[in-house]
Amino acid sequence: MSQELNISSLTVGYENKPTLKNISVLSDKNMMIGVFGRNGQGKSTLLKTLSGLLPPISGQFNFNGIDILNVSEKERAKLLSIVSNTQSSIGAIKVRDFVAFGRFPYTNWLGINKVKDYQEIDKAIELCKLESFTNRNYDELSDGEKQKVNIARAIAQNTPLIILDEPTVHLDLINKVEVFKLLRELVKNHNKTIIISTHQMEYALQICDQIWLINEGKVESLSPSEIIDQGKLTELFDDELISFDKASQSFRLK
Amino acid sequence: MNTSTSNKIHLTILLLIVVVFILFGLDLFLGSVKIPFKSICSILIGETAEKESWKIIIFQSRLPKAIAAILCGSALSVCGLQMQTLFRNPLAGPYILGISSGAGLGVAIFIMGLSFLGISASAITLSANSGIIIASILGSFGVLAILLSVISRLKDIMTVLILGIMIGSVITAIIGIIQYFSHDAQLKSFIMWTMGNLSSVTNDQLTLLGPIVVTGLILSFIASKSLNAYLLGEAYAKSLGVNIKQSRILIIIITSILTGSITAYCGPIGFIGIVIPHLARMISNSSDHRVLTPLSILLGINVLLIADIISQLPGLDQNLPINSITSLIGIPFIIWIILKNKKIANLN
Repeated sequence: MSQELNISSLTVGYENKPTLKNISVLSDKNMMIGVFGRNGQGKSTLLKTLSGLLPPISGQFNFNGIDILNVSEKERAKLLSIVSNTQSSIGAIKVRDFVAFGRFPYTNWLGINKVKDYQEIDKAIELCKLESFTNRNYDELSDGEKQKVNIARAIAQNTPLIILDEPTVHLDLINKVEVFKLLRELVKNHNKTIIISTHQMEYALQICDQIWLINEGKVESLSPSEIIDQGKLTELFDDELISFDKASQSFRLK
Repeated sequence: MNTSTSNKIHLTILLLIVVVFILFGLDLFLGSVKIPFKSICSILIGETAEKESWKIIIFQSRLPKAIAAILCGSALSVCGLQMQTLFRNPLAGPYILGISSGAGLGVAIFIMGLSFLGISASAITLSANSGIIIASILGSFGVLAILLSVISRLKDIMTVLILGIMIGSVITAIIGIIQYFSHDAQLKSFIMWTMGNLSSVTNDQLTLLGPIVVTGLILSFIASKSLNAYLLGEAYAKSLGVNIKQSRILIIIITSILTGSITAYCGPIGFIGIVIPHLARMISNSSDHRVLTPLSILLGINVLLIADIISQLPGLDQNLPINSITSLIGIPFIIWIILKNKKIANLN
């Protein structure tokens, strides 16, 4: 393993109240990395820090030999894109124009798209199968459609790394599966590296190459089979009402 | 944006420019003294007028007033547009957020407060034009800085509006105290200022105001790319490479200069800043600031020219305060926006 993605002694949190201390994790490129953890354990804080939205208290996040937390917003925008679960916008934006926002880091001061930009936008729209509603207003879409448009925008940004914070949280079953499939396709055929936090652990275990497990202030990097074999998920929900059944790879009520 | 909608927007902009010329002509033509249209044209191109008094009315009164209306309408509309995007709040505007009040405080301190420091009014008349503008810009900058420093902690848009109204009330109270202690002459000139009158703008002031407003408008057009990114929210804007701190400061500086300088000479003029950007969005069905900025400028100019024409309709001996007219036009429109857009509180 070349370990092109590594987090070293990273401490994250707000205003000197560290949520997660001294995280060190090694992973590789072109992987789908799932981030597991219970609510309030620091998943979002970790992802916000890795995305550059929240300054780290200390430490580094190296991707492809670049310390992502130490570059300007402009450079970072060409290295990583984000998708979150909040969908906000004011006014009328057409789906195609929304996807076109992904080209923002590459356009001139007035934001004029060039031929290459239009190609990237079309590619993203095709990958996410949005062709049928490019002329609709973003605000009129269903939650599932909105999230696909968000992902298309991230694809149009054409960054090697995409970080998604609980992207499937408002979606129904079919939409969830579609989003996961789309992400899988991006890793397999388009050389993307994806970091995704999710509570959909049963699906994530099937499609992720690696899991970062956050528990009691520590972050462990494990393969999905290690997670299952070592009973890590039952441990995560210790003393609770459910347990993880290894044979069926699903949660059971106790 | 596909070509048919962009053609439609080009056509709308062209049409609005034509309307600006028509309204500008009407604004010069209509007034308490009837001057034939032909004479106005010949006066404007420098030929001798049939009556010397007509020339004075045009050059000393109607022309500066019409130009002031143009500057005022364009500046306040663009400020409103930028604030609505920056605060992610459809009801934001320079007046309602207390920014005009901040400018008022600056002016109050300048007109009435300086005598406390032993500076007599005659000593400041020379620098009065530029002094009043600087005081006013500083005042609006102060209010904007306070608003932005707390806004990250206030997620709810209604709270921000209430805060703006509270800041406005505090400032009114402070101005009241200053008024209480000031002399009659200064008090009178301040009260006249608060009535918001375009006709009080002198030619000298216009030569200062014009370049300031034009610079502000050009800067706002340059800021439209980052303003577009703000539509997706701050986190996404940052992930797209926008330097949030820098662009915020740029937008605050633009809005305080525009609001401050306009308020300094024309007095506080309300509701144009809220209403016009909504009108621009409705007409263009777009949220792109590269479209909305020029559209807001043109719509703002037209509405203010109409308001100015109403304020000096033939048959009236005196000009009505333009502030009252913009409120009478603006407030029903705002109520209509609120009723139409029931989701207004969810827009954050």
